[in-house]
Amino acid sequence: MARSTPTYTPVRNYAIGFSLSALLLFSDISYGAFAPLRGFVNASTLYAKMISNGIFENIGETFSSFQRNKIILQENKELKEKILQIRTKDFIHRKDNEEKIQIINFHKGLINSLKNDDVDIYKIASIDLRNYLCCSTHRVFLQNTRNVSVGKNAPVFAGRSIVGQTKDTYLNFIEVILLSDTSHVLPIKSNFLYCDARGKGKPMLIFCKLNKNNKNFKNQIGDVVYTSGLGGVFLKDIEIGFISAITSFSINEVEVLITLKANPLEETFYGIMSEEADEI
Amino acid sequence: MKFSNHLIILSTIILGFWIDDFLNPLTIKLYLELNFGFLIFAYWVFAIPEKLHSSAALFYGLVADLLFSNVIGFNMLFFIAISYLIHLYVFRFRIFSYFQLSVFFSGSSTFYIACKYLLLSPNNYSYIVLILSFLINAVLWVGLYLIMRAFRRSIF
Repeated sequence: MARSTPTYTPVRNYAIGFSLSALLLFSDISYGAFAPLRGFVNASTLYAKMISNGIFENIGETFSSFQRNKIILQENKELKEKILQIRTKDFIHRKDNEEKIQIINFHKGLINSLKNDDVDIYKIASIDLRNYLCCSTHRVFLQNTRNVSVGKNAPVFAGRSIVGQTKDTYLNFIEVILLSDTSHVLPIKSNFLYCDARGKGKPMLIFCKLNKNNKNFKNQIGDVVYTSGLGGVFLKDIEIGFISAITSFSINEVEVLITLKANPLEETFYGIMSEEADEI
Repeated sequence: MKFSNHLIILSTIILGFWIDDFLNPLTIKLYLELNFGFLIFAYWVFAIPEKLHSSAALFYGLVADLLFSNVIGFNMLFFIAISYLIHLYVFRFRIFSYFQLSVFFSGSSTFYIACKYLLLSPNNYSYIVLILSFLINAVLWVGLYLIMRAFRRSIF
């Protein structure tokens, strides 16, 4: 027959625990020593409850509304897509028209070559998010469901700005190299600045390296940056972003960091001028 | 004992206190105070005394205090006290009948309730509450014991 407890239960540990508990209890009852802690825990619990209730309510509401308004939501989605398509088309048309007017004003002889303004709108198929958020390769793939012939290096628009250039086509997909890709170069200009901006390899960032001794450079953070049109690929004077930082790169160079206006992660539709469109 | 096992035990204790919080506002009108949280803890110490020591009692008590009590230290104090008592007499409890076990655990629970009222809410101290709670907790203990035993055997 066992003559002792099944485990070693030293009274000392229990006595210490008991004394500690009693001390805590006494200090809390008498002096409210743990009132802030309790308040914090209660507030946190309430907050968690509120959040969880909110989440459940939202889920329930969303689910029920989804059930009730399935057709309306579908219609809404289609209309939204249409609006986005129209907006992108409109922006490209507007810019194209501006450019056309400039060209008409300065080169009347070229007016016949500006008749075509075809713009094709493509829906995004995928974005290489893993690389986009960490690495230097920033690519987007667009769905080319109508098998439209798309030329290489054509400018790609999204939202209200340029996001990149077509690189290649694979099956029914168009590969677009984004401006923030490290291998992409974009001629830009600002008030006192002309340079070839290279992709930074970080989302929505491109940069220029300038000579420190360049006395013409008087730009400041926040200044708007436009395409310079140099090279003839991109339209001129399209706002692409703003100067977000000017840092010393080396003894003789400064790095001008430009944050792009268009965020590829937020865009669904991309516009590309078709091969028949104007080559400016 | 594995940490996950501690979490399971703690979850059952928290569930017990949560049920208490949920039901007691209703049952107190009938002069009844349920004490599932304390009984569940007592069950675990009774079932696996070799795995639950003073530190575990202290920790579970602290969590119960933080989440369900108005003062820090109250559950710690009673958890460690009941833990010591059960450890001390665990062999005798093995030969106890369900009725005897019910009386012991319900008595402990009633003592817990009495001290709670005395320390934290002396104006509401009531012998009717204590007597009725003793009876109802004694009945509930048997059911709780069987459920918890089935649960323990399926988990551990």
